[in-house]
Amino acid sequence: MKLQARLFFALCIVFMACKKEKQEQGTLLITFNNVVNGASLSLNTSSYTNSAGEAFTVSTFKYYISNITLTRLDNSQLQLPDGYYLVDESKPASKTIRIPAPKGEYRGFSFLVGVDSTRNVSGAQTDALDPVHGMFWSWNSGYIMARMEGTSPASGAAGQALTFHIGGFKGPYNAVRRVTLVSPISLTVNAERKPEVTVKADLYTWFSNPFQVKFQQTSTIHVPGKDAWRISENYSNMFRITDVTDL
Amino acid sequence: MRPEPVPFTLQLPDHFPAPVYDMSQNPLTVQGIALGRRLFYDPRLSRDSTVSCGFCHQQFAAFAHFDHPLSHGIDNRTGFRSVPGLFNLIWQKDFMWDGGVNHLEVQPLTPITDPNEMGEDLGRLINRLNADAKYRSLFSEAFGEGEINSQKLFRALAQFMATMNSFNSKYDSVVRKIPGAQFTLEEANGYRVFQEKCASCHKEPLFTDGSYRNNGLPYNQYLHDAGRMRVTGSTGDYLKFRVPSLRNVLKSPPYMHDGRFYDIFHVFDHYSTGIEQTPTVDPLVSKGIPLSVSEKRELYFFLNTLTDQGFITSKSLSEILIDN
Repeated sequence: MKLQARLFFALCIVFMACKKEKQEQGTLLITFNNVVNGASLSLNTSSYTNSAGEAFTVSTFKYYISNITLTRLDNSQLQLPDGYYLVDESKPASKTIRIPAPKGEYRGFSFLVGVDSTRNVSGAQTDALDPVHGMFWSWNSGYIMARMEGTSPASGAAGQALTFHIGGFKGPYNAVRRVTLVSPISLTVNAERKPEVTVKADLYTWFSNPFQVKFQQTSTIHVPGKDAWRISENYSNMFRITDVTDL
Repeated sequence: MRPEPVPFTLQLPDHFPAPVYDMSQNPLTVQGIALGRRLFYDPRLSRDSTVSCGFCHQQFAAFAHFDHPLSHGIDNRTGFRSVPGLFNLIWQKDFMWDGGVNHLEVQPLTPITDPNEMGEDLGRLINRLNADAKYRSLFSEAFGEGEINSQKLFRALAQFMATMNSFNSKYDSVVRKIPGAQFTLEEANGYRVFQEKCASCHKEPLFTDGSYRNNGLPYNQYLHDAGRMRVTGSTGDYLKFRVPSLRNVLKSPPYMHDGRFYDIFHVFDHYSTGIEQTPTVDPLVSKGIPLSVSEKRELYFFLNTLTDQGFITSKSLSEILIDN
């Protein structure tokens, strides 16, 4: 009996300590604002011009954001638990992602554009990674990291189609890219404060920086390889923080 | 409250290596396997409800497509490779003739969505399953309450496929030294020929080493199939295909990735005298594998001992008629 009482008391102390240790959680909101050369992106209706002067329209624009880390004020990195988000221009709700984050002050964050190799080789997945979203190759297992489709008079493909399915998770042409963004003001996360960051994603960059892509020569990419890797290099430069609301 | 699904213990042979497929992530249950079997034989998985998995994967042919050189699909369409037999899949690390699929669970996505096979859109299929009261109830019994999603679909199919195992042929009885099991003289001679001339690629006990090789088949100018190069993009993989298992081989003609040989003796002739030299031809076959008439005959008798009658007639794998 005495022993049990002591045990109980000891357990109580342990639990109280645990409770105190439990990290206070908050939320960081990131809203992706898809644009083309600064102009807001509207699917199927607007025409845009790439850096080679070729006109084009966009019917599909989606990309994976995953493996988010937060940058503390001392530049150390805090890796967050697994989170996979599919930003899809045709689904407005998907363009704001809510990231559970521990309380703290952060200088910025980084993320992968795409899906890490582990999830490419782990069988059937759910939610954002469900192949039902059309972002998984069935003939050559692996995720399409980012996908853009549309049309251009410069395209030699049937129906003047543009098809850019960018993927590949291994070898020299691994298309997974890490993007690091620094916020103009520090981001304070706690139970009361939910910083909202707006990130501009400029599709213009896909075909311009650093590798210029002319639709006349390249209108279709749907396999991993050098062409896909070049586009991934380009789009890793498409993100900029434009607004921070820290309330 | 639904009862919990009943765990199912898979009998594994002690003369096989450990399985590649991690069943701890998808524990086999009686309900899960039964659901997978129903899905496997349900033609409603295809766009026009005419083609089930079992349409091409016939049990009596070790789940290959007997007598069909190339895969068939909806709208009378034809694929460009032959239907591989399905067995011992939990020991396989990648799938398809070119190894393009890297996990057992996502393999069914390929035939389900391929326009030449079942031609269905995954989203439409999931909606159809969710709209079906019978499937809603079967999925709940196997995986708990909630929407049916593609992961549950693929895991149910994987559970059924995990039970499609073949390791009880006469060959297995002999190597396991089951009392009374022994090769006839011709089978024993054939086994020696096999070990000397075939076993380095068709490695025991699975009768494949899981590799991709160019076995010197003359190029098929109608199909223009680059083999594994299609997946890797590497010219070093040009004309390389999976080394298939030889288990149940006499039950599953025609042979090769394009079903070009209707008779196992044509296969022997190919290795013996038909090798075509190309830059990627495998060194093990590039000089040909000479086989005398009597060796071919003995090899035939040995390969016959790889037929697993219990597997190709097993009641637990057989087709079920789905009328609701």
